[in-house]
Amino acid sequence: MLLLWTIVLLSGRAWKLSDDIAIKTEDLTKAYRSFWGRKKVLALNKLNIAIRKGEIFGLLGPNGSGKTTTLKLLLGLIFPTEGRAYVLGEATDDVAIKSRIGFMPEESCFYRFLNADETLDFYGQLFRIPGKERKLRTNRLLTRVGLEFARKRPLKQYSKGMLRRIGIAQALINDPDLIILDEPTSGLDPIGTRETKDLILGLKAQGKTVLLCSHLLSDVQDICDRVAIIDKGELQISGTIGELLANRDIVELLIRNLSKETLMEVERFIQEKQGEVVSIKNSSGTLEDLFLKIVQERRETSWDRSD
Amino acid sequence: MQQILVIAKQTFKEAVRNKILFILITLGVVTICCSVFMPVVGDGREKIKIVESMCFRSITFFGTLAAILLSASSIPTDIDNKVICTITAKPVQRTNIIFGKIIGFVYIIGVLLLIMGSVSYTLIRYTALKQGTQGSSRGLLAREQFDPVNLQITGDSAKKIGNVSWIEGGGKGASVWKFKGLSSKDKNDDLAIEANFLIEGKKRSTGRIPVKIKIINPYSARILTESMEVSRNKPLLLRLNGKSLDGSEELTIVVSPENSGDFLGIRADSLRIFWGEKGFGCNYLKGLTIISTQFLLMVVIAVLGSTFLSLPVNILFCLFVFFCGNITDFMRDLSTVINVIETSEHEHGISGVMQKSNVYLMYLNHIIKKPILLLSYILPDFRYFSVGKYFIDGINIPCKRIFMGFGYAVLYALVCLPISFLVFKRKEIA
Repeated sequence: MLLLWTIVLLSGRAWKLSDDIAIKTEDLTKAYRSFWGRKKVLALNKLNIAIRKGEIFGLLGPNGSGKTTTLKLLLGLIFPTEGRAYVLGEATDDVAIKSRIGFMPEESCFYRFLNADETLDFYGQLFRIPGKERKLRTNRLLTRVGLEFARKRPLKQYSKGMLRRIGIAQALINDPDLIILDEPTSGLDPIGTRETKDLILGLKAQGKTVLLCSHLLSDVQDICDRVAIIDKGELQISGTIGELLANRDIVELLIRNLSKETLMEVERFIQEKQGEVVSIKNSSGTLEDLFLKIVQERRETSWDRSD
Repeated sequence: MQQILVIAKQTFKEAVRNKILFILITLGVVTICCSVFMPVVGDGREKIKIVESMCFRSITFFGTLAAILLSASSIPTDIDNKVICTITAKPVQRTNIIFGKIIGFVYIIGVLLLIMGSVSYTLIRYTALKQGTQGSSRGLLAREQFDPVNLQITGDSAKKIGNVSWIEGGGKGASVWKFKGLSSKDKNDDLAIEANFLIEGKKRSTGRIPVKIKIINPYSARILTESMEVSRNKPLLLRLNGKSLDGSEELTIVVSPENSGDFLGIRADSLRIFWGEKGFGCNYLKGLTIISTQFLLMVVIAVLGSTFLSLPVNILFCLFVFFCGNITDFMRDLSTVINVIETSEHEHGISGVMQKSNVYLMYLNHIIKKPILLLSYILPDFRYFSVGKYFIDGINIPCKRIFMGFGYAVLYALVCLPISFLVFKRKEIA
């Protein structure tokens, strides 16, 4: 028995010492049961993922695929039916580890009668952050998420986008090592989306680990180092964006300032070498880039006029 | 501890900003103030009685309503709004959330009691002043009450139905009440003996039976015998001069019906002695203390319900507990009630009742009475916190009563809280 305990303790110690892993799940399973104890929904089935420290990891999947369930299991809000999960080297039922985690839920769920200042102060107090430091962090975060102008306004008067921003701010109040974001860009306009993405990249630059789940694929593609796709509670695929999207049979050439004649020559050359040209078209930007460009120009113009 | 206080402060803020507390306090104060305009038939003391009664009933009603509505809704609302997700995702023990919520409700109840209690006290003093009876023994009364330390029922005729002992007259039975520790600051004060007996007799229509009362002073061996008539629904009153005790702190009182065929129904609290007075202000504070203990118990029960019930179900559950907790006496005496129904069909008094058995009543006994009896022991007994009768009868609340109420609430809370912690700890916040 003693030997068994020693092995268990040593294995636990060994796990704690594997420093580069922030999150690890082992056959993580969650089944929701009915009132009578019958299995109703298998929300998650034997999920095995490992997220390295300092990376941005995206959890992708359609609605009801088990993304939010995974996050809730990692945060200890719900309990696994089978399997285990470790966050920053500790089991998910360890409350103390939550002091190193920042969480933004899918919906912005806060006390609506509090203003932004009070909200951040409340969550800061739950982390036992001293008063002066709390105030400092509140000011810094409100500036960072662009809510300084509305800091004294009750949250019930906030737009959906503003609520998402305060959600991000409260997730960062404890300067966490691991940030878990559930649909961080949902409800945000393209500018807010871009700012949020920049903020997440900034967090990565600071060495933080970010786990985000979303069904907005372009967002995930823009910022994530690695992604996992889950559907119906099961892991379908995981890897880096490059690995997953690489198509070794097709090569893309981006060429600037090429005449029509030269282009035809290139095409002929490819055909001579047994290659097949699938399509030749002019390059186009994304709608997001266009939107941002227009809004940015408009703002700069109105700024100049007001000067 | 810091986290508990943060959650408590938040809970209080929520109640204040949601305006529920404000609405309940306003309604309570308006109801209290309306008591002054209640029409009263009788002397000044009657008017004060009405005001006192209304004040305490209003405080109890609105306080209980606040305790139930706020504490029953807080956790379910946080779960519905998903605010609880952001709190439990922080390094907060779930027990701290429960503790924080309860302390928050204690703040709220404290504010409610402070405001409604101050208004009530001012109003009662004002009414007494207006009636010109303030400070007099007929105005704001807080008489010192003495309960018997021992009650003995003697004689062959004694029969016990529920918690009532019936004795027959004509020398076939008697009740012997022993009092100890009788004392008063002013020995010249009148000592009042007050009795509330049930009666059954051959001449039922008269509604009165003659009884013999013997007052024995064990210290001086002096015996005083009085013959009086006990009426239905009217307390029997006997006044003695305090000096007649001759310095003794003990008294024995023997009560028996005079005629054979007359029955006297006796409960343990049927006979009491009043001697001396205490300050009204102190008594009022004692009353509020007991009421506040009841609110706290209600808060603990509502929080327990909120850990596993949805908001509407929890409110219904709390109202059910509160209602049943106030009629535990009735629930436990259901057997007596059933027998009394039979008595009305019988013309030959108590002995006849004992013999009659009815198949339907036997079913009723098994299907309804026993589960209700069990329930009456599981649910909190709010009789421990009932203070209205003390003020209506102008009786000083014994400190024992406060300790009993407090002790009962603490014990009950000690059972409820671990269940709340356990349930909430295992609760999935989906």
